[in-house]
Amino acid sequence: MSGVKKILLILLMAFVAIQFIRPARNEDGQDLATDFRKVLIVPEQIQLLMQNACYDCHSNHTAYPWYANIQPMGWLMADHIKKGKAALNLSDFGSKSKRRQISKLKQMANQIKEDEMPLYSYKLMHKKANLTKDEKNLIITWMNNTADSLATTD
Amino acid sequence: MKILIFSIAMTATNLMACNTNDNKASETTKSEVTKDTLAQQSATADTVAQASTGTVFPVKEIIGRYLQVKNALAKDNSKDAANAGNELVASLAQIDPTKLSPEQQKSYTELADDLNEHAEHIGSNPGKIEHQREHFMMMSKDIADLVKTFGNAGQTLYKDFCPMANDGKGATWISEVKEIKNPYLGSKMPDCGTLKETIK
Repeated sequence: MSGVKKILLILLMAFVAIQFIRPARNEDGQDLATDFRKVLIVPEQIQLLMQNACYDCHSNHTAYPWYANIQPMGWLMADHIKKGKAALNLSDFGSKSKRRQISKLKQMANQIKEDEMPLYSYKLMHKKANLTKDEKNLIITWMNNTADSLATTD
Repeated sequence: MKILIFSIAMTATNLMACNTNDNKASETTKSEVTKDTLAQQSATADTVAQASTGTVFPVKEIIGRYLQVKNALAKDNSKDAANAGNELVASLAQIDPTKLSPEQQKSYTELADDLNEHAEHIGSNPGKIEHQREHFMMMSKDIADLVKTFGNAGQTLYKDFCPMANDGKGATWISEVKEIKNPYLGSKMPDCGTLKETIK
């Protein structure tokens, strides 16, 4: 067996071996009362856009694609989801104070405006997360207005 | 084989996108503080009541760090702003909420969580001054409320407003000097803004 073949074989074996190390899945399945959509009055179109572009990494429920079952993809996703939820978890949005909610809404709007979110790699694999300019403006305006109206009510 | 190459390629794309800030450092500090607090709680149960007058709360230090961020941004100095942001994170981590009165605790936790998040973003984004300024805007609201709730620590402060900041929607900041030094527009328009309120 040539050297190249040997290396390929080792790589293949390593690839097979890592398939057995599977991260826990982020699938709560419950629609919590603290969910963003339950706490705020969110227009249906925006709910849908957020479901497609945000909820996979920023909630307790991820709609996994088939390749999530292949490592190291599954690991990377688990890592993204962990970091995503640490920064913002839409499932427990309602448990935060009003100050935090306003702050999060503004940060979300800014992240979308600056094209930081959704992540480029996520958009590559999720066509629906590729928001058009109009869709982005719709979300940004709604989020900023909602933040402002929260700030003026008690 | 195809799958192998595919997954390697995906790994690379994902790694490149993985530039989310690591907040682990500050988390560790916080949990250490909590542990210390728990250890002290039983020992200092008697003194807590005394301390709950709020003197343990470093309002002055927090305002000071905030002003450092503000002055760095006014000079368009993103790196100094980041350093001051990190120092503010450290100041916030020192506070022992158990030494505050129950009322103060509630307003404190709310404010501190928010302040901490903005300070972390400012601290971990040197070079991204516009991002820092967005967080500074939200932080300014927190500081204004902090002063309202916990006082100004004996320092005369000025609440300024610039109508051009925040894409023309306007933004407020707190300053220690009467003269306008705009932290949102920096050298582009250093004196844009008006004094809205003097806090004595």
